[in-house]
Amino acid sequence: MTPLQNKVAELFENGTISLMIGYKNAINKLAVPCFIDHATQVEQLIYTPECKGNLSVYLHKAEIKQAKKIGILANIATLRSLVQLTSENQLSDIEKTVITINAQNEVLVFDNMEKVEEYVQANFPEYTEEDKKLLEQLNSMTRAERWQYWSEQFAACVKCYACRAVCPMCYCSSCTVECNQPQWIKVSSETTGNLEWHTMRAMHLAGRCINCGECGRICPVGIPVHLLTAQMNLDIEKEFGSKTGFSCNSGYALNTFKPEDKEQFIK
Amino acid sequence: MEIKNIKLSQLPAFFDQLIKSGKVVIAPVMKKSGKVFFERVQSYSQVATDYIQTGFSAKSVVFPKVEVLFSFNKTDDGIDIKDSITDIPETIVWGLRPCDGSAFNYMTEFFLKENPDVYYAARKAKTTLIAISCAKADDACFCTSVGLTPGSTEGSDLLLTTMGEDVYVEVITEKGKAAIDLSASLFSVNEERSKEKYLAKIDTKFSLTEIKERIKTAYDSAEWKNESMGCFGCGACAFSCPTCTCFDIQDEGTQNKGQRLRCWDACGFGQFTKHASGHNPKTNQTQRRRQRLMHKFQYSVENLGIVSCVGCGRCIRVCPAHLNIFENILSVTQ
Repeated sequence: MTPLQNKVAELFENGTISLMIGYKNAINKLAVPCFIDHATQVEQLIYTPECKGNLSVYLHKAEIKQAKKIGILANIATLRSLVQLTSENQLSDIEKTVITINAQNEVLVFDNMEKVEEYVQANFPEYTEEDKKLLEQLNSMTRAERWQYWSEQFAACVKCYACRAVCPMCYCSSCTVECNQPQWIKVSSETTGNLEWHTMRAMHLAGRCINCGECGRICPVGIPVHLLTAQMNLDIEKEFGSKTGFSCNSGYALNTFKPEDKEQFIK
Repeated sequence: MEIKNIKLSQLPAFFDQLIKSGKVVIAPVMKKSGKVFFERVQSYSQVATDYIQTGFSAKSVVFPKVEVLFSFNKTDDGIDIKDSITDIPETIVWGLRPCDGSAFNYMTEFFLKENPDVYYAARKAKTTLIAISCAKADDACFCTSVGLTPGSTEGSDLLLTTMGEDVYVEVITEKGKAAIDLSASLFSVNEERSKEKYLAKIDTKFSLTEIKERIKTAYDSAEWKNESMGCFGCGACAFSCPTCTCFDIQDEGTQNKGQRLRCWDACGFGQFTKHASGHNPKTNQTQRRRQRLMHKFQYSVENLGIVSCVGCGRCIRVCPAHLNIFENILSVTQ
């Protein structure tokens, strides 16, 4: 058994957790989410560079929440989500134990969010080189070119809403797209309506997205949709000095008022 | 069935004739993302040749993601209603896999058996399917478990199997014949022979006969919950599936001008079963996932006599959590 498997078995045996959300090997050399509820099943647990999925999204799922004591194996993006979700008061009803593996291959167990926050701040991830390059390309375009680029991308969108489904920050129990009186966003998939949907999503995630990149990674038609929120984050960081998924008590830049804010309009 | 031969090097010439026929030609195209999708093409140079499976199936040719059924325009003289059925072009689908070809058989049963759907009928009548056998497969492929092979001819009009420098051509229907007649000189007479050694080897994951029997009592299996735990409730599996035919009718526009649309829908969506009253009989993802799988392996057998899964593996590849349909089915029927 690996140190990770030993540690998780121990957590089951001493009653710290009753459900573990982790990764297991699957066909086509994939690492997929797995859910285990007994120490005897820990041997399927893995942690490899293929473990890219952001498992924190499962903490919103009713079937998962029933477990009460949840262990979650977290990569750095998942850890950031947990910090951001804590700052948005979304995890207060969940008794969770967070497990990660650091660069030295040590299994770390965090029993409270202060420790997660400390780890995240010490290991805060940069944008990937690929995303930096793509954002640079987009920013060097004229507005018309950028419009053209996104119009072409979103023409292919089929509105499967996988981007929303995998996003830990998309936790609304009822989404605007499902409202039909009035109908803000068309049900049918066509370029303009698809642009409306993705713009709306990006605006709702501005300064809240934790840059895990899941929405872009899993898009069935390959739209790099994560770049929209990634750019929003850069803008918010520049204007308000706040980083997402960095502090459990940061508040949200776009709805937090501070007496020392430089703007006068609200005073 | 008539068997023909064409030199591999002559395929582009054959393809050119298809384009020159003036029909819309849809073929697999490699996108910047590295994924392959069916798209309208103008020349063979755009066609992807090295791929296992396209991201989405070719079902949109007969069942578009959004189909305008009719449009209306209120004028001073009354209401002008335009039926879109007259705008459907003759279309050739090039390079679909044999599993996808067989999916058209299922769709035809679904759309035409009872209450024939005129839009589907019109599109299908104008569509020619030129399938290409699979020389390679990945671990998500499982056509051999659902009664097909990487060289099945069911549902296709023409099946091409590359055998070294030659392409073995099975002329399955009159439409297939019409397609090769566009460049008759490129095709020579051929004898029937085994395709076996040129086809991908795909392990059988289960016995379909056993699964069809066992799934009848699988509804209450406790495994549905475990097998559905990873499901996020998106529509990626249904939209990429060659046999998922659920749709949602939408009216768009104003009281003076608008259109009625048929849009793809997915049973994984929470709203799929939501009643106008607000009541939703399917309250969780376990029930929705069960519906999807039971439909493929039991309900469609009861309704149409066909298992509506062709083993293309798209749902597994495209699922954000890579939920595995054949593992799920095995687990709930244990």
